[in-house]
Amino acid sequence: MSLADTQNIMRPGNSPAAFSARETWGEWLDKRSGTVFIAPAVILILIFAIFPTIASLVIAVSRVKLTSDGFAFRFVWFKNFSKQFFGNDQIHLLGRFNEMSLFGMAVSLAVSAWAVWWLFSSVKNGTSFVGLIGRTITALVVVGIVLMVAGTAFSGNPWGTLGTTLFYVFVGCGVQFVIGLGLALLCSQQIRGKNFFRVVFFIPLMITPLGVGYAFRMIADVTKGPFAPVWGWFGLGDFAWSADPWAARIFVIVGDSWQWIPFIFIVMLAALENVPRDHVEAAQVDGASGWQIFREITWPQIIPVAATVLLIRAIEAFKIVDLPNIMTSGGPGIATESMTLQAVFAWRSNDFGQSAAVAYLLLFVTVVICSSFFNLVVLRHLKKA
Amino acid sequence: MSSSNRASVTFDKVAKSFGSVSVLEELTLAVEPGEFLVLLGASGSGKTTALRILAGLETPSSGHVKIGETNVTEMLPKYRNVAMVFQSYALYPHKTVGENIGFPLKVRGVGEAEMKAAIFDAARQVELDPLLDRYPRQLSGGQRQRVALARAIVRRPAVFLMDEPLSNLDAKLRGHMRAELKHMQHELGITTIYVTHDQIEAMTLAHRVAILEKGVLQQLATPREIYNNPANLFVAGFIGAPPMNFLKGTLKDGLFEMKGGRLGTSVKGSLEHATLGIRPEDAQISTKKAAAFTGHIYTNELIGDHTLVTADIDGQMLTVKAPKEFAGAPGDAIGIDAPANAAYLFDASTGARLR
Amino acid sequence: MAEINSSFQHANQRTMLARFFEQPSVGKMAPATAVLVYTILALWTLFVIFPLYWVLITSFKLPQTVNEGPFYIPFVDFTPSLHAWNTLIVTNFADTVRSFFNSMVIAIGSTLFCVGVGSMAAYALARIQYKPKLGSILVFVLLLIGATIITVAAGLDWKIVFSAALAIFFLLVRALSKHFTKQLTNNDILFWIISQRILPPIVVIIPIYMMFQSIGLVDTHVGLILAYACANLPIVVWLMHDFFAAIPIEMEESAQLDGATRLYIFWDIVLPLTRPGLAATTLLTMILCWNEYLLAVFLSTSNAQTMPILVAAMNAGDRGVLWWSMCVVIVVMIVPVIAMAVILQRFIAKGVLTGAVKG
Repeated sequence: MSLADTQNIMRPGNSPAAFSARETWGEWLDKRSGTVFIAPAVILILIFAIFPTIASLVIAVSRVKLTSDGFAFRFVWFKNFSKQFFGNDQIHLLGRFNEMSLFGMAVSLAVSAWAVWWLFSSVKNGTSFVGLIGRTITALVVVGIVLMVAGTAFSGNPWGTLGTTLFYVFVGCGVQFVIGLGLALLCSQQIRGKNFFRVVFFIPLMITPLGVGYAFRMIADVTKGPFAPVWGWFGLGDFAWSADPWAARIFVIVGDSWQWIPFIFIVMLAALENVPRDHVEAAQVDGASGWQIFREITWPQIIPVAATVLLIRAIEAFKIVDLPNIMTSGGPGIATESMTLQAVFAWRSNDFGQSAAVAYLLLFVTVVICSSFFNLVVLRHLKKA
Repeated sequence: MSSSNRASVTFDKVAKSFGSVSVLEELTLAVEPGEFLVLLGASGSGKTTALRILAGLETPSSGHVKIGETNVTEMLPKYRNVAMVFQSYALYPHKTVGENIGFPLKVRGVGEAEMKAAIFDAARQVELDPLLDRYPRQLSGGQRQRVALARAIVRRPAVFLMDEPLSNLDAKLRGHMRAELKHMQHELGITTIYVTHDQIEAMTLAHRVAILEKGVLQQLATPREIYNNPANLFVAGFIGAPPMNFLKGTLKDGLFEMKGGRLGTSVKGSLEHATLGIRPEDAQISTKKAAAFTGHIYTNELIGDHTLVTADIDGQMLTVKAPKEFAGAPGDAIGIDAPANAAYLFDASTGARLR
Repeated sequence: MAEINSSFQHANQRTMLARFFEQPSVGKMAPATAVLVYTILALWTLFVIFPLYWVLITSFKLPQTVNEGPFYIPFVDFTPSLHAWNTLIVTNFADTVRSFFNSMVIAIGSTLFCVGVGSMAAYALARIQYKPKLGSILVFVLLLIGATIITVAAGLDWKIVFSAALAIFFLLVRALSKHFTKQLTNNDILFWIISQRILPPIVVIIPIYMMFQSIGLVDTHVGLILAYACANLPIVVWLMHDFFAAIPIEMEESAQLDGATRLYIFWDIVLPLTRPGLAATTLLTMILCWNEYLLAVFLSTSNAQTMPILVAAMNAGDRGVLWWSMCVVIVVMIVPVIAMAVILQRFIAKGVLTGAVKG
C-alpha cells in the first residue's frame, strides 16, 4: 500500500466513501458541538434566571419609581429589608410579638440548646470548614424561625406571611406525604383496577391550580355549595370559614393536598413496585406480618425516593401563591397570605423594592431549608442506597 | 477487493492510564496489511483499550498510532476509515436492517442508487438479503451479528475492528460464525484486529495472536508458535485446554527434581526455584516402575474421546490426558512419564522461560 | 397423612366470620382487608372526582340555578342549560378563542423550545466532558453584578454596559485563565441547571417584567414562550439527562466511527431512542405551561392573554364571580389536560418519569 493510497483514504473529499467538501460547515459546527449543545440552555438561564436574580437584589436595595420613560432607581441600602424585619411590615412578614408564652419559651430554649449542641458535635466530628459554615447558617435560620413561631403562633399572637409559608410547606408536605404513601401502599397490593386508580388519582396534578382554587371555593360555600345542607345540619349555615384564620388555612391545605398528593402517590407507587418481589416473598415465607415487612424490608428501600420526593414537593410548596390568592385572597387579614402573595400584592401597589425584598427573603429561606434538607437527609440516604 | 483497502497498523509505544491506573503500558505492535490479528487477554488486560485507541474512541496518554503511513493519534474517528463491530452489536433498534447497514453510507452522503446497491451487496455477503426490511428486534442473535458485520463491510474500511463480536452468541452458533468470519476476512482481505478473551477464537481465527496481560504485551506470534513455544509462564498457562501443568521444584544441570519425581530436560543450567510445565496431552500414564513421577490418582473425568486423570504427586497436581478406556480409581498408585522435549521450564520467581 | 387430613377438617370447621379476617393464601388479602382497601380507594376516587364533577355541572347551570343553592344532578334536580357555553363561545367568541389560541401557541411554542434546548444540554452533559474553570465563572458573575449595578445606578444604556462587560470578560479570561486551576465537572453544571428550579418565580419576575418592558416583549407570545421555557428548563434537563445516560454508548460510538457528526447522532440515533421519555417530558412541560398563572399575570395583559387569565377575569367584574362562565373556561382548560394525563400515566406506570426521582 502506497503513501498516496493511504492519503486517499484519510483525507475527506477524495474517495466516494469519504466526506465531500460541501459538508465543511457541518464539520466546523461539529468541532464546536460541545458549545453548540449547551450554550442555548446556559444563555437562557443566564438571561432569565441569573441576571434577574442579580437585578432583583439591586431592586431590593432600591426605591423604584415609575417614570414616564421607564423606572427610576434610588439606592436605599437595606431599608426595604429593615422595614420587613423591624419596621411597619414586621407584622406582615413575621407576625405580632406580644408576650411569649411559657410553651413558646420552652420550645425556643430547647431548640437553641439543640442547635448549639449540634454545631458543637459537628466541630468535634471533624466536619469540613465549608460544611461548618453551612451548618451554622442552617442552625441560625432554624433558631430564628423557631423563635418567630414561638413568639407568634405558640403564644397566641397572629403570624406573618413567613410563618404561613412555612406552615404550608411543613404541614402540607407532611399531610401529603402520609396520605400519598398510604394510597400508594394500598395500590401496590394485589388489587383489581389498579390502572384505573392510577389514572384517576393522578389527574389532580394536571389541573391548573387556578381551577383547583375556584372549584374548592365553590365547594366550600356554606349556602350554595354542595355541602350546604351538611353545614346547615351542624348549625353552621352562616359560618364564614373565610373569616376564621384556622379554617381558612386548613382549607388552603386541603386544596393544595388535593392537587399534590397525586405526585407523592405516583412516585411512591413506582418506588414500591420497584422493591424486588423476592425480598417481600422471603419475608412472607419467614412469617413476617404486613407491618413488619413494611418496616423492615420495604421502607428502608424506598427512603431515598421518599427523601427526594419530599425535597421536590417542598421546593414547589415554598412557591405557593395561586391557591391562597384565589381561595382566600390571603385573608382573613393576612392569615393565609404566603410570601409570594405578599410580594405580588406589593408589586400591585407599585412598591417594587418591597416586593423584591420579600421575594429575596423567600429565596433565602427556601435555599437554606432545601439545601440543608438535601445535604443532611437526601444525600445521606442516596449514598446509603 | 482493491488493494487500497489493505492498510497496515502500527502501535508505537502506546500507553494509556485513567488517573493513576495504568491500563496499557507502552504497547508496540505492527500489523501487516491484510493480516488477521487477535488481541487475546483476560478482562482488564488492556486489549479493548488498545482497540478503542485505534478506533479513536480513546486518546492515548502517550505514543502514536499509525494506519498505513498516516499518524492517526490525534485524528477524529471518522477520518480513520476504520469500521468496528461491537460486542453488543450496537444496532439501531429504530432502523431496519437495510437502514442499519446503509447508515455509514448515508452519513457520507452517498447517492440513493449507489447506496442501495452497496447495501444489497453487503447483505448478500452475510446472507441477510431477504431480511432487509426487518427490525433488529425481529432477528435472532446470529442474524443481528451478521447485520453488524454487514454494516462494517459495506463501506470497505481500511481496517476492521472487532470487540468480542461472538461472545453474545451461544456456543454452537459461535463455532459456526467463527468459520464464516474467517472465510469472509480471507475473501475481503481487509486488515482485521479482533479482541477476545476466548483462546479458541484466537487460535482458530488469527494469523497472529498478541497476548496481553495487565497492559503488557506478553507474546506476539502465530497460534502454532504460541502453543508450541510460549514465551513465559503466563502465556503457557493461558493457552491450552485443559491448561498446562505447573510443578515446582529445582533444576540441576538440566535435571528437574521435586518430591515424588524427576525429569531430564533439554535445558542446560541450574536454578533453585524452577517451574516445570507439561501439557496434559504430552504426558502419559506409565506402567513402568521407574516412571518420572509417581503418586496416586486424585480424580479422573471421562470427557468423551479421552479421560483426564489428575494425579497427586506428593501434594502437587498433575493432569494427564489418558485414553478413554483408562480405569483407575481415586487413591490407586500411578506413574507418569513425559518426553524431555515436551518439558517447558520457567523461572518460578520471574515467570521467564528457560531455554 | 392423618395429620394433614385433620388440619384440613379443622380449616373447614372455621366459621365464615373467622375466614373473613384471614388471608386465604400468601400474597392475597383477607376479605375484611379487601373491603377496607376498596372502600378507601373508592372514597379517594370520590374525593378526586367530585370537584371536577361540580365544575362540570356548574358550567351547565344558569346564573339563578347557581345562586338558588346547591343542585346536584342534571335533569334530576335542575335543568342543564347551555347559557354559559353560549355566552363564551358565541357571544364572546373572539375573546375566548383568542385566549385559547394564545394558550395553545404559548404552550406548544415554549414546550418545543424548552424541550429542544433542554434535551441538547442534557445530552451534552451526559456525553461530553466539560471542564469550566471556577475562576472564569466567578469573573463572569462579578462582571454581571457590576454591569447590572452600573446600568441601574448610573442609568446608562444597558446594551452598551453589557457589551462592555462581555468584552472585558473575554479579555480577562484570556489573560487569567491559565492561573485558574479549580475546574467544575459535568455534575456541577447539571446540579446548577436543576437547582434553578428552587428559584421562586417571584424573585425573577419583576426584573424580567422590566426587561421585557424596555425591549417591548410585555404582552407578547415570544415573551411568555421564553419565560416559560426557562421556568421549565430544569425539569426537562433533569428528566432527559437520565434517559440519555441510559442509552448504551456503543450505538453512538459506532455512529461516530461511521462518520456521523454529534448533531446528526443526536437527531438520528439518540432522540428516536429516547422517544418514550421524550414524549413524557414534552407532555409534562406542555401541561405546566398550559396551567401557568403567576408569570402570565405579570407578563400579559390582553394581547397574549392566556386561558388562566380568562378564568381569573370571570372574578374581576362588579357582579361578583361569574361561576357558570368560569366553569366553562375551566372545563375547556381541563379536558385536553385529562386526555394528556391518560397518555402520560402510561409512561408513569412504566416508571419512565419517576426513574429520575430515584436518582
